[in-house]
Amino acid sequence: MMFKHFSESLSALALLALASTAHAGEVTVSGAWLRAVPPVSPTMAGYFELNNDSDSAVTLNGASADFAGMAMLHGTETKADGQRSMTHVDAVTLKPGESVTFAPGGKHLMLMKLSTVPPSGEVRDICLTFTDHDDLCVPFQVRHNDPNR
Amino acid sequence: MQLLARFLTLCWFVGLAACEPAPPDLPVNDRLGGDFTLTDQDGRPWGLGDARGRVVILFFGYTHCPDICPATLARVAQVQRHLREQGAAGAVQPVFITFDPQRDTAQHLKAYLPWFKADIIGLTGSDADIRAVAQRYGVVFLKSGAADRYDFTHSDFIYLLDAQGRVRKLYPADFNIDEVVNDVQTLL
Ligand SMILES: [Cu+2]
Repeated sequence: MMFKHFSESLSALALLALASTAHAGEVTVSGAWLRAVPPVSPTMAGYFELNNDSDSAVTLNGASADFAGMAMLHGTETKADGQRSMTHVDAVTLKPGESVTFAPGGKHLMLMKLSTVPPSGEVRDICLTFTDHDDLCVPFQVRHNDPNR
Repeated sequence: MQLLARFLTLCWFVGLAACEPAPPDLPVNDRLGGDFTLTDQDGRPWGLGDARGRVVILFFGYTHCPDICPATLARVAQVQRHLREQGAAGAVQPVFITFDPQRDTAQHLKAYLPWFKADIIGLTGSDADIRAVAQRYGVVFLKSGAADRYDFTHSDFIYLLDAQGRVRKLYPADFNIDEVVNDVQTLL
């Protein structure tokens, strides 16, 4: 009786421990997609959300995809008069618990020198690279519209 | 409360129509716009006058921009799709003007635009001609970057022109599709 009680609380503890390790130490990418563009397009833009649920800071510094000769992190600057421009973003650092959203009209992944332009509906892996973390390679779905609007 | 009651009585008196919100009146913007002629994707001159009698959705951009420009083109295409469903597609002409004639040649526009399935007329021309048109519509653009890899800082309004080619309304690049469809209908 006593023992059963003890083992029950032990397994509960083990579960708790599991749950907390699953929570800590994970940097995750969600909602990854690429904007569908005409096949003659020289560039494509990618969007995603990056969450740092680990207990150390991570720095995103680039990306790579086998169908793009070049990939960059870009930002969008809007001036007071409404003029917008793209800027090169060297790196984005996320402290533990922080997240960043790459979305249309803001930060985006810019793929250049494309060998092929994947059409709407296709899924392509893109790897996000970090200075202090393993690459995260995730599927990006090609679509016409922003899934978050 | 008493005021409201009085207002409602007045409504009843003058007739219900007077109490409905007035349809949005789109004033003519005479500070912007005007006729122009550039080169279309078939390499032929195309002037705004060629669209007389049709409502025009005019916008500027460049095809090497992957983020905002294809999104705007896709939204304009959605407006066209809505209007087509209502049997009004032929009454509207989307017109895209590039400010990157070096890369957006007539040939490139002809390969790029049909994908959007919106009968978009793509216009290119000399740097000077394009800048002159942009200026008349209050569009500012600035090229920056290396010779082989450059981008543009630019304003990105969408212009609604009536059947006489007059500017009636401006929208931001992430405009509401239904709003534009409704506005177009008030001009038909
Ligand atoms: Cu970009």
